[in-house]
Amino acid sequence: MNKALDELFVYPKELVDEESKRVIHLVRQWADKEIISKRQEYRENYEKLFIETRKSLNLTIGLQRLTLPEEHGGFGWNNPANAPGIASILTEIGRADAAIGVAAAVKYTILAAITMAPNFDKALCDALAPVYCGEELKTFSLILPGMGNIGQDTPLFLGRSILASVEAESDGYVVNGKDLRPINSGAIADLFCVVCADKADKPCIALVPGDNANVVRGKTLLETGLNASSNADVSFNNVKIPKSYVISRQGVVEELYTWLNLLLGGVSVGTGMNFFEMVGDWSETRTIKGGYMMKENPLCASVLADVADEVFTSRLFLYDLAQTISKPNDWGQSGSQRVYTIAQVIGSKIQQNVMRAINRGLELMGSAGYSKEWHVEKHWRDIKTIQSYLCGVGAEAPVKMDTARFFFDCKDI
Amino acid sequence: MKNFDEFSKPEEYISPMDKHIRSVIRNWADKEVMPYRRKYDEDWKDHHIIEPAFDKLMGNSGIGLQKALFPPELGGWGIGQSDSAFTISCALAEEVGRADTAMAVAFMVTYWPLTTILVEPHVNWRLAKEFAPMFCNAEKAVFAANAMTEPQGGADIENLELTGGKTIRTVARLEGDEWVINGHKLWPTNSGGVAKLFVVPCTTKPGSTDLKDFAMIFVPAETKGVTQGGPYEKAGMAADKNSDIWFEDVRVPSWYRAHGPSMDAQIFREIIPWGLAASMGFMCGAMLNLYEILYDFVSTKTYKNKPLKEDDHIASIIGRIAGDIDICRILSYEAAKMGDRRNKPYGYPIYSDEVACKMRNLKDFVSDRAVDIFGKAMDVLGPYGADREYDIEKHWRDIKIIQLWMGGKQLCQMEAARYFFNCKTL
Ligand SMILES: Cc1cc2nc3c(=O)[nH]c(=O)nc-3n(C[C@H](O)[C@H](O)[C@H](O)COP(=O)(O)OP(=O)(O)OC[C@H]3O[C@@H](n4cnc5c(N)ncnc54)[C@H](O)[C@@H]3O)c2cc1C
Repeated sequence: MNKALDELFVYPKELVDEESKRVIHLVRQWADKEIISKRQEYRENYEKLFIETRKSLNLTIGLQRLTLPEEHGGFGWNNPANAPGIASILTEIGRADAAIGVAAAVKYTILAAITMAPNFDKALCDALAPVYCGEELKTFSLILPGMGNIGQDTPLFLGRSILASVEAESDGYVVNGKDLRPINSGAIADLFCVVCADKADKPCIALVPGDNANVVRGKTLLETGLNASSNADVSFNNVKIPKSYVISRQGVVEELYTWLNLLLGGVSVGTGMNFFEMVGDWSETRTIKGGYMMKENPLCASVLADVADEVFTSRLFLYDLAQTISKPNDWGQSGSQRVYTIAQVIGSKIQQNVMRAINRGLELMGSAGYSKEWHVEKHWRDIKTIQSYLCGVGAEAPVKMDTARFFFDCKDI
Repeated sequence: MKNFDEFSKPEEYISPMDKHIRSVIRNWADKEVMPYRRKYDEDWKDHHIIEPAFDKLMGNSGIGLQKALFPPELGGWGIGQSDSAFTISCALAEEVGRADTAMAVAFMVTYWPLTTILVEPHVNWRLAKEFAPMFCNAEKAVFAANAMTEPQGGADIENLELTGGKTIRTVARLEGDEWVINGHKLWPTNSGGVAKLFVVPCTTKPGSTDLKDFAMIFVPAETKGVTQGGPYEKAGMAADKNSDIWFEDVRVPSWYRAHGPSMDAQIFREIIPWGLAASMGFMCGAMLNLYEILYDFVSTKTYKNKPLKEDDHIASIIGRIAGDIDICRILSYEAAKMGDRRNKPYGYPIYSDEVACKMRNLKDFVSDRAVDIFGKAMDVLGPYGADREYDIEKHWRDIKIIQLWMGGKQLCQMEAARYFFNCKTL
């Protein structure tokens, strides 16, 4: 591959300012140096290196504080205008390791509900930033509404069952919920962000410190991909939290979905770009039909074209969504029905596209693609895992319904 | 629908042994595999948990399936001589594949090289007698392997029509009454120290496109000069071990060649439909299991406080999944029957273009549907889709390679084009 990635996967460069570009460049260097150039070693010592590389990204480069306001020691990327920059960072991380990307995406998603203008909550930031964005690496976990269980009648968030509840008690709240499935890191999270229903069945979010004795974690799940993220089901048994740890402003849950779709989209685009690099190398060195370079075979070239096409359009979609979020005056806040819906449409499209790119590319790699030694199979598993989580319920049923509701004013679905 | 057995299969195609074989294997699968299969991924290297289940399936201490192809007079069950050999294989592939497609592969690939010497009309009695004790008298599982793929590529070797074997670098030289084999193979199912017997597709004249120079030679694994590497770590298919195999001045008797010049190339073309039909069976088995799991899931999890399956939109997705399973199963049995018609006046020989190309086409179609519906099913499960506890993700990882092996998807597409459009240069 003799062309730079950014020359191939073009994106509206003006969306990212010079200062952001410098940070993005730093993250690309981190990705190349610490992971991409030593994939074999990274795979063989994954658990250890996953933590070390996360540390160097979050603490040495300082990305743990990316979306904190400057007055809280952050980079000050806490304005919707930073959405393209944050998405770019996630792309760079995803190019190296989707699991590190997911951890970062979830953290920024949760922080967006706290720090992002115009909803910056100073008191909450004062309370959380020193503990969860300080000198130690901290992991956040997100629990969204989703499927219910037969025989349970639950409050709903746009069709999805809310399985956790908050109830006011003296000067705080009590959180309850059984066997909840987070998006990530349930087994190790330092802070949970849980979508709950209040007494009136209205959705809100609660922030629950992981060290509370009444937080009970199930066994670490074995999953298709993203295993380093150490997910587990979690139960909250009368967990008391301060009053300020519950955010119940209108649209806050929608905000979470909007940011999550953008940021996981960023991760998957990055992973797709790295897959593109790998399959590109393969197609230049592998010969078929008794000696022809694979990429010069028209059929293989058409498969390669599909790979490029899916990743290329995904990146454009990603920046389109980032731009939509970055301009609340044009399109509404991230919790508005429009932006929330667009985020889901684009978020799901990106996951599908990248999944298709990898599935197609694997066709050309034969057994090598299936073997751990070639590293591409990890991307395949990781992206499928992200996609399944984002689907939420019944292969994106709620996303389809949200979309139809927005575009066709459906009332009863 | 009562249960997954109700998925369509053309009943008039089904062998009289079908019911019996299925019930025996299902018993084995439910008892020996289903409860443990989630641990198989961690057992990929050692097969501590996997091996005893194989023994109970294949060895005489269990069902004894490894001898099934051999003629009764050599201690086998005579399936190689049966008119329903393909259809029975499809049922076997399905039942074992329902539990674990990698086990199904490892077990059925044991038949694969043996089909060249045990299936009518090409029974090679001398070789059959030679190898019968290895498989028919063993208490434990004994495996065989078909070592086609080489480092420079597997697709070209399977594409004999185009390459005529000129890309094959594993060379057999006749010295007196012995073949001396040198070469390097990759990936055969049951390598990595598992197989006791290999069949080695090779050339007697490097670079030749004359199919007379193509040879299939049997090589017992313990022969001097055979070295197998350690198993590769893969995305799935943990119960199947794959590795490098090196042949360095390996000497075997000259009569270990399957049938001789020209006939070996024909036989090689004949084993391809076996692999394709079995591949379809593996995927159908996995899909039947998907249906079982999905049925429970969509009946007990809710959306809008109703079971998932009672939501019109979700119902359309799971309806399509089940519909596809039904269609794939019909197609797989049609493919198997195509194989079983080989000796009938209205059938085609299995080395013919008709069978090879149509089967590649069917396998390609079923693979694509399988890859698609497993992906969709994981999405239906949402946050549980990637969770090993639900087993669907395991099948999703396992079956992807079925789409890619045996020369890959693109080779299937080219063979279909060649046959249906009489292409001359592909
Ligand atoms: C679990 C597992 C089990 C296996 N079992 C066996 C076994 O039992 N025996 C064995 O010998 N091998 C086995 N293999 C290897 C497998 O069959 C090969 O990997 C497969 O045939 C593809 O070969 P390759 O990987 O060398 O890819 P290549 O031959 O390099 O082909 C790569 C890709 O090139 C493209 N291509 C090839 N030819 C053409 C063409 N003419 N036109 C257009 N495109 C083309 C296709 O996309 C193809 O997928 C196994 C592999 C795995 C992972």
